[in-house]
Amino acid sequence: MAKRKDLSVEFCGLKCENPFFLSSSPVGSNYEMCKKALESGWGGIYYKTVGYWIPQECSPRFDATRKEGTAFVGFKNMEMISDKPTEKNLEMIAQLKKDFPDKVIAVSIMGENEEEWTKLSKVVTEAGADILECNFSCPQMTSHAMGSDVGTNTELVEKYSAAVKKATHLPVLAKMTPNITTMEIAARAAMKGGATGISAINTLKSITEVDLDNFTCLPIVNGKSSISGYSGKAVKPVALRFIAQMAKDPELRGVPISGIGGIETWEDALEFLLVGASNLQVTTAIMQYGYRIVEDLISGVSYWMEEKGINNLSEIVGAALPNIVPAEDIERDFKVYPKHDDDKCIGCGRCYISCYDGGHQAIDWDTTNRRPVLNEEKCVGCGLCWVVCPVEKCVVPDKVKFHSFGTPRDINVIAKKL
Amino acid sequence: MKEECRLKEKEYLRESRKPYSPLNAIEEASRCLLCHDAPCSKACPAGTNPEKFIRSIRFKNVKGAVETIREANILGATCARVCPYEKLCQEACSRTGIDRPIDIGALQRYATDFERSSGMRVLEAPPANLEKAAIIGAGPAGLAAAAGLAMKGYKVTVFEAEEKAGGWLTYGIVPSRLPQDVVDYEVDYVKNLGVEFKFNTIVGRDITIDRLKAQGFAAVCVAVGLQGAAALDIPGAKLSGVTTAVEFLKAAKPSGGNVEVPANVVVIGGGDVAMDCAATAKQLGAKAVTIVYRRTIEEMPASKTELEVVQKLGVSILPSFKPVEIIGENGRTKVFKAVGLEWKDKNTSVEVESIIQLKAELVIQAIGQTAEDVSYTGLEASGKGLVVADSEKGTTNIEGVFAFGDIVNGGKTVVEAVARGKAAAQAVDEYLNCRRIGCSACKEAVAGKEGGR
Repeated sequence: MAKRKDLSVEFCGLKCENPFFLSSSPVGSNYEMCKKALESGWGGIYYKTVGYWIPQECSPRFDATRKEGTAFVGFKNMEMISDKPTEKNLEMIAQLKKDFPDKVIAVSIMGENEEEWTKLSKVVTEAGADILECNFSCPQMTSHAMGSDVGTNTELVEKYSAAVKKATHLPVLAKMTPNITTMEIAARAAMKGGATGISAINTLKSITEVDLDNFTCLPIVNGKSSISGYSGKAVKPVALRFIAQMAKDPELRGVPISGIGGIETWEDALEFLLVGASNLQVTTAIMQYGYRIVEDLISGVSYWMEEKGINNLSEIVGAALPNIVPAEDIERDFKVYPKHDDDKCIGCGRCYISCYDGGHQAIDWDTTNRRPVLNEEKCVGCGLCWVVCPVEKCVVPDKVKFHSFGTPRDINVIAKKL
Repeated sequence: MKEECRLKEKEYLRESRKPYSPLNAIEEASRCLLCHDAPCSKACPAGTNPEKFIRSIRFKNVKGAVETIREANILGATCARVCPYEKLCQEACSRTGIDRPIDIGALQRYATDFERSSGMRVLEAPPANLEKAAIIGAGPAGLAAAAGLAMKGYKVTVFEAEEKAGGWLTYGIVPSRLPQDVVDYEVDYVKNLGVEFKFNTIVGRDITIDRLKAQGFAAVCVAVGLQGAAALDIPGAKLSGVTTAVEFLKAAKPSGGNVEVPANVVVIGGGDVAMDCAATAKQLGAKAVTIVYRRTIEEMPASKTELEVVQKLGVSILPSFKPVEIIGENGRTKVFKAVGLEWKDKNTSVEVESIIQLKAELVIQAIGQTAEDVSYTGLEASGKGLVVADSEKGTTNIEGVFAFGDIVNGGKTVVEAVARGKAAAQAVDEYLNCRRIGCSACKEAVAGKEGGR
């Protein structure tokens, strides 16, 4: 039996056996799916958005951006909220809580007006949910009284948060849209309305690709298509940025954040925790690989904790935030030179090409030996060479030089390199 | 039994290696490091430029890849299947420093398969307004020269002794490695450039070079290849059931495998031709096929891919054995006898007390090809009967007559033959350009050469 760390974390006052939850999406659409996921090891679920408004979905409704190989770089979907009758959803939620009392059953809701938000809050609370998540952020609703059009309107966010809060004793999360310049303003409005915490991010409005034969974007629905939400690995950098900014916002200090956006591996998961999330949600990776991915999330995080001597995940929540500073606070006198290892080098010349065409022409090419030769005079220490080098530990950041001022910090990792 | 035969035939005729799907191809191409000074491209004799076509596939421009291959190599689809990649471009591949080389042959095949299935056409010959050029021999060297000259605007006629073009490609290489339709496709490509073919025409018998010149052919290219077969001089070598690779393969391939193959076959030799014979025999129904090779397995000239193919087919390989006798019964081959050799160094061996006797109703000698008598050309010949010609330009002792390919270099790879054909087309063009403008320097050079003879 593999050794497992205790991955439990407290989120919004609730004990979660681990931080890994399904996000509100196709992966948590009904009782059977949620049951299978919870039995696979997920700490909890965000049940697919329940509302009174029942959508009419289109076909097909997905597209994926790929690079080489089969993995999705990013994923586009056109689905809206649950297409099941509200009553049916409430029954399934009640059954889930009954059958899985130790798991956390969060439920996403979405109303069309203040009255509906309050009513949904009340009935979902009565059904036995543990957390309510207000979906202010679905970018592909056919009703403009709903979805991300609401999430970008701070008045509505505050008003609807209050409408939900007044009908429940449960924690209320506001799920934010990234289709906005800064997320803190909308998040503050949600908190002002009475929300307990924030979920971020929902999907980015996108066109994944344009069909070159039919002159429309994908997926093609009877000859047409529309802009809709983008998720998966490609949005991870955007998600981390929004979460870090909210976590650093003085007005939002200490607000629980559920992190969403491209989590596939245990490393992705830890990154979200390090920038301030204490709960994590996943959809795209599950859509591609299935619920079983939670096994490696749990195992991977356990081994990392073992290695780092960390006993409780709450120790690392937000731990990277002090090291993320504004551009004006970055020291400009610091310079790292690359070291080229001639024995590891396989002579591909990629560092040479990139330094010439995208850098400062600081690498000369020894055509006889097929090896790069660094010209320190010209090198600005940009690091492009070690980013493009395809060989492990062949070009590495090495000698550090300070121009005239500044002092070395006590940090041993200068640049991350595979 | 009949069903079994059909199955065997299918195996013989069907290309054994699976093609890449578009996704597989891009995946493989993305392993390519896109080297600055791509050693793969430097290693291709025909200048097929893998660096450029792999990069095109990598960035989803398959048509661009086809263009690169086709502009450099008129037999690109053939070479994709028969080239000894591991000794050329793949041996040079930088990726080997990380794990394994890029599968360049399979990517080239992917691009040329795409070309064929999409009907894409890269090369369009200009109107044939220039002089007439004759090519003797429709093998790889002749085809490459014909295409090169047609692309420059010459009126090209290829004279071929057999009834089909392709030479060794059509009359030798096993179809499971090189299907005939691939060869036919590339021959058609050459035809579509305006090249005319005269089949069943033996130069020297049906028509002479002087006659060709009299008919207005301003240049004559001799690319006849090696048509003779080397044979062993051991007791029993004349028995019925002892044959040569050339004879055996030439009967098997054009008939679609419709030849009788007995249960026990011995193939003598260690090159790709020996592998082709072994694969053909096995795929056409032989129970036991054994390759007997005089030197060690490390020295086998066959490509590693072909060696793997025959091993997968269940062919036994016996290195370091020298044939000593073929024992017959009623004039027919029955037992093949060989003696073990111990190699002291690369060139010295001693016989050891190890005799092997194999049941064999068919013994195929794949120990090399020889030049046919080319005295009808009037060209200077070396001791081995090869034509003496400039190794780059193909110029010979007779003005206006060029020779290149196997008949000059003694037998190399298909890609080498393509390279020589391309170079010869260039040389013929230069020669005719000079003649047209009356370039005095060239005339003097020619006169000097003839004077010195």
